[in-house]
Amino acid sequence: MPWYGKGRGVMKTKDLTLMAILTALALVLSLVERMIPLEMLIPLPGVKLGLANTVTLFAIYWLNVPSASIILLARCLLAALFSGSLTELAFSLAGGTLSMLIMAAARRSKHLSVYGVSVLGAAGHNSGQIMTAVLFMHSVHILSYLPYLLLIGTACGLATGTAAAGVLRVMRPKQPAA
Amino acid sequence: MKDPKDVFTFRRGDAVAAVLVVLTALCMIFVQLLGGAPSGQAGTAKVFRDGEPVMSIPLQKDGEYSVEGAFRNVITVKDGQIAITESTCPGGDCLRIGWISHPSRSIVCLPNRVEIRLEADPGTEALDAVVW
Repeated sequence: MPWYGKGRGVMKTKDLTLMAILTALALVLSLVERMIPLEMLIPLPGVKLGLANTVTLFAIYWLNVPSASIILLARCLLAALFSGSLTELAFSLAGGTLSMLIMAAARRSKHLSVYGVSVLGAAGHNSGQIMTAVLFMHSVHILSYLPYLLLIGTACGLATGTAAAGVLRVMRPKQPAA
Repeated sequence: MKDPKDVFTFRRGDAVAAVLVVLTALCMIFVQLLGGAPSGQAGTAKVFRDGEPVMSIPLQKDGEYSVEGAFRNVITVKDGQIAITESTCPGGDCLRIGWISHPSRSIVCLPNRVEIRLEADPGTEALDAVVW
């Protein structure tokens, strides 16, 4: 039995507490990430490192997809409250939803590990954001940014996946796998 | 290579996924370039708000312009270049893009729904025609 991926059922206090901590962690990561002026180096609208997704990835494996979704939703809402921007919320939710749908499917594939899930999740996130931007700006021109975001996103996805993989590896219980 | 049992080790499928995404991105760029992306010197900037053109700015004259939407962007033209120099939008991504002068680049302020696009002077384009 894999040691990760808790099943369904009544949520234990332990899991609830863990989710709260993960939400706070993801929130801090997303706020800190905003301080890094990535747009200076790479002039793409909405370019970011996606550090908070390390938490989302961890949650997808250590808990389950519904729990990870709750953490994602809470983190986006809180981050929007902190930044005071509704458009930011719209973009995060759009990107996050598509990303989570893709990651939920990818997680079940035995051909993909956390690295692959992370890369595909990043691609989904960027695609969701751009599609929302197209709707908001009433302009198809924005789509021209997508390929560049995808390239950056793949690199960042691999990095985020590495971080999450590192955490999952360390968290592995010491007893031999059953 | 056999796919290992644990989730935190790289699998062959991961590399496939990453390569697929990169290839898709490269294809999109390729298609864009073929489709006649603008080239040449930029003479005029068109400012769009909510997808509608709201002003046309010649780049030959220095000046300052203001666009009001959900927030306020101040656009400055100097030495044939254009940038958003002030903005009341949260985040301020648009301020960090800096100065542009080439038609392949644009400045976007998502919260204000504003987009600045550059148009090449007719006659200076590098390609005369693209035939399929």
